[in-house]
Amino acid sequence: MSAIIEFKNVSKHFGQLKVLDKVDLDINRGEVVVLIGPSGSGKSTLLRCINGLEMITSGDLLVDGMSVKGGNKTLREIRQEAGMVFQQFNLFPQMTALENVAFGQRHVRKMGRKAADNSAQELLEKVGLGDKSKHYPHELSGGQQQRVAIARALAIKPKVMLFDEPTSALDPELKQEVLNVMQKLAEEQMTMVVVTHEMSFAKQVGTRLIFMEHGKIAVDANPVDVIDNPPNDRMKDFLRHV
Amino acid sequence: MNIDWSIVIGFLPALLNGAKITLYITVTGLIGGIALGAVIGLMRAYGGYILNTLAFIYVEIIRGTPIVVQVMFLYFALPVLVDIRIDPMTTAILAIVINAGAYVAEIVRGAVLSISKGLTEAGRAIGLPRWKVVVYIVGPLAFRRLIPPLGNQCIVSLKDTSLFIVIGVGELTRTGQEIMAANFRAVEIWTAVAVFYLIMTGTLSLLLRIIEKRMRIL
Ligand SMILES: Nc1ncnc2c1ncn2[C@@H]1O[C@H](COP(=O)(O)OP(=O)(O)OP(=O)(O)O)[C@@H](O)[C@H]1O
Ligand SMILES: [Mg+2]
Repeated sequence: MSAIIEFKNVSKHFGQLKVLDKVDLDINRGEVVVLIGPSGSGKSTLLRCINGLEMITSGDLLVDGMSVKGGNKTLREIRQEAGMVFQQFNLFPQMTALENVAFGQRHVRKMGRKAADNSAQELLEKVGLGDKSKHYPHELSGGQQQRVAIARALAIKPKVMLFDEPTSALDPELKQEVLNVMQKLAEEQMTMVVVTHEMSFAKQVGTRLIFMEHGKIAVDANPVDVIDNPPNDRMKDFLRHV
Repeated sequence: MNIDWSIVIGFLPALLNGAKITLYITVTGLIGGIALGAVIGLMRAYGGYILNTLAFIYVEIIRGTPIVVQVMFLYFALPVLVDIRIDPMTTAILAIVINAGAYVAEIVRGAVLSISKGLTEAGRAIGLPRWKVVVYIVGPLAFRRLIPPLGNQCIVSLKDTSLFIVIGVGELTRTGQEIMAANFRAVEIWTAVAVFYLIMTGTLSLLLRIIEKRMRIL
């Protein structure tokens, strides 16, 4: 198995603030990596460095062999390999669900309108929203919006999916529908990096658990092993509060 | 005091001609002003340090000085400074372009920045180049928020044309002034001039309402 994401001694600063501190991390194809840690420990930043929404300060970071420091064109190629799902959904409000999903295929993958619409419809069906294709985001529940957002990211045919607290903005009863879609993706061998507080998801679906602290990877292990038996007090303390 | 509205009828052709010139200056000036404002506004929102600073200085200079001073500067000071002489009509149009440009720039900047950063990131995250994010995602959303303040600026600019009286452009206010000077019918003439302005601004307002209604989605 070859690594699809390689952090090589990556540091990230925001001005004086060191947010990622010499991170080394290889993520292999098919892995479902669950990222946890206290607020401000750098989880989102780590994720956002992978698709270049944040620029790394030093070290190198390769996605499918391409460096995030390779310039704009390389970055756009990396973003086509690594889809992202945000906590706040961020659907394009002026477009219907179908248009949201088809947009990237048409403008990034250069697919024709009809082909893009067809495959967008398929993707919406896959996330259980085949009947909502004509709805605008504001006509959908949070859980439905987030599933459209997942379909939109999948439409670019990424090799990796990045999730930043995809269920944190959702009411408890809506979380599960999104987690189910994510579980299905994992079963299809999608490589995933997921920031989440859903420990049952981490245990059931995750193949690897990373606990971050002060911009460093403090624990990197099998989810089932460490969630029940946290290797240090800080993680034990953290788990008690999620 | 004898008020005789019928005398207005005799001056209608002259007033109509003045209104036409007013409208001409407004429309050409605003086309240029909106184009300029869009560029300056985008420089403010997306430009690096240098572009942003240049745009900022321009906006502050224009917003910080009265439009009459700007007109006087263009018409009387520029020829002295750089030996460029422009006729009153061109000066008037240029003044609207430069003046409206600054206000439109702030409107454009505000509208663009009001679109959540998350949407831009979502666009970039699917691999769109920056310009496509601006054109397809931020642009259409910002445009909807742009319409009301932009319409407001159009009305302000239309009324601003009345001060080109100071450089002798024969627009509506100047026409009224000339008629007045000949017959001293102040009440009738200035009422007629005001009505002409009201018809033009009223039409603009109405148009705006219609556009706003059409674009109500968000
Ligand atoms: N654009 C930015 N500019 C300056 N500082 C930032 C920026 N983004 C994040 N930070 C800071 O970097 C640190 C790490 O932020 P990050 O969002 O990665 O944390 P997190 O682990 O995702 O936290 P949370 O659980 O609250 O989402 C925080 O202290 C945050 O304030
Ligand atoms: Mg975060």
